[in-house]
Amino acid sequence: MAWKDLKNRFKRQFSDYLELPGDIMLDLPKIVLVGNLQVFIENHRGIQEYNPQLVRVVVNDKIVEVTGESLTLRNILPDEICVEGQINSLSFYN
Amino acid sequence: MLLFRILSRLGGYVTITLPEGCLEKFVNLAVSRGVFLWDITGIGTGRVAMKVRLSGVQALRHVARMTSCRFKIVERQGLPFFVSRMKRRRAMTAGALIFVAALYVLSSFVWFIEVTGNKLVTDQAVEQVARQAGLKLGVPRWTLDVTTLEETILDQVPGLSWVGVYVEGTRVYIKVVEKKLPPPDETGHPVDVVAIKDGLVKQILVLSGHPEVKEGDTVTSGQVLISAAIPPPVTDEEKETPDGNREDALEPEVQQPLRYVHARGIVRARVWYEGVADMRLVENGAEITGHETTRFGIKFGSKEIILIGPRKIPFEHYAVHVEGKRAPVWRNIDVPVELLTVRYYEENPYTKSYTRDEARRLAGRKALDSIRGQLPEGAKIVDERLEEVETLDSGTVRVRAVVETLEDIGIDQPHQSLDS
Repeated sequence: MAWKDLKNRFKRQFSDYLELPGDIMLDLPKIVLVGNLQVFIENHRGIQEYNPQLVRVVVNDKIVEVTGESLTLRNILPDEICVEGQINSLSFYN
Repeated sequence: MLLFRILSRLGGYVTITLPEGCLEKFVNLAVSRGVFLWDITGIGTGRVAMKVRLSGVQALRHVARMTSCRFKIVERQGLPFFVSRMKRRRAMTAGALIFVAALYVLSSFVWFIEVTGNKLVTDQAVEQVARQAGLKLGVPRWTLDVTTLEETILDQVPGLSWVGVYVEGTRVYIKVVEKKLPPPDETGHPVDVVAIKDGLVKQILVLSGHPEVKEGDTVTSGQVLISAAIPPPVTDEEKETPDGNREDALEPEVQQPLRYVHARGIVRARVWYEGVADMRLVENGAEITGHETTRFGIKFGSKEIILIGPRKIPFEHYAVHVEGKRAPVWRNIDVPVELLTVRYYEENPYTKSYTRDEARRLAGRKALDSIRGQLPEGAKIVDERLEEVETLDSGTVRVRAVVETLEDIGIDQPHQSLDS
């Protein structure tokens, strides 16, 4: 694991230095929130759980959890998920 | 996204439901296989609904088998399903088609004919001729030949000087313009030739009637030049009779009454026109530079909304030209919306100063131009004179122009009975 951390740190420093966007260099998700109505999650690895109150999406090495009311998955593409509804919170888990 | 929705509608899509428990596996597998899913919503009772294109359903069956989830198709939408539904309801489809066809067919006939612009000629007279020329109610539109119709109506309806036939939808408008005929003299009413202007008679040529003026006379507007009343010829005897026995001379005149004719003739006279024009020594004006900007907007009642175009006019000086488009008024329904096209033309204000000579010349030209506008056709200009008039304002040059012409001043007028 230490080797991987080192590699990640190097990558981050490298991308910081060259001002490259992190979602490309580090394979991080790009999350766009539109008010509390929509969340676009790019660069995902599939959904883990879905019900109208809770959506869990797997990203890189973490899980994004969206909670709210009457959530729907407006569309799912191989690299993008759009969640619609009344969003209350968005949090990351390991 | 709109394009996507239209494409889905065309290709057809279905709404499927499956139990909430196996949704994650199912969706992830489907997405990894390139099946596009959208509108995934919980519908309660532990089931989830989602939409998928018709082309993806076969792949989903495979996914379902692999994940051992059973899905149910609950709704089918889009063109392919619509077509198959319509196939089952043949009568309705036929009805819809017949309706459209009937609408199309019926709209290709003439159902209304309107004659406008006529005052003396009756509608019936025009319609009668039009009917013979092939324009009647219920005639197919494609058989109408507008130009021949116009020509025929113009030929066969007396008293028309112009005819226009316009086909607008199922309505045909026949616009006519009537001839403006001089008062008919078949009624026996005699006609005089009178002067329309003041002038000095230069030539008089009488074709019929009795000359009331002779060459060299000054006439005023309205004066009779050639009278319709011809006195009986003066016999030799009367000439010889001395003034003493006038009573005898009058007798034959009573016996031989005046003869009335339609007076005709040419009376050429010298006519003077006068025009005055001012010219300022310093002239302020504006000329259009050629730059322009256009603004489109909607006028709703008294409110104006700019759709396209600059909010602020980029010119310092400009002229405005407004063009409004309204929906046609239909059955007293007046739509309060107006489409406005406002054009702004940039102007360049200038100040020009003239010398007194230049100003005099320009004023003279202006004065002459103003006179030329009044001259009737066929008037021959004999003399032109210009003279400067003193004004109180020293910055202005005023020039008076006098133009002398030779022209026909006679015009027909009904004979005023007995010019005794």
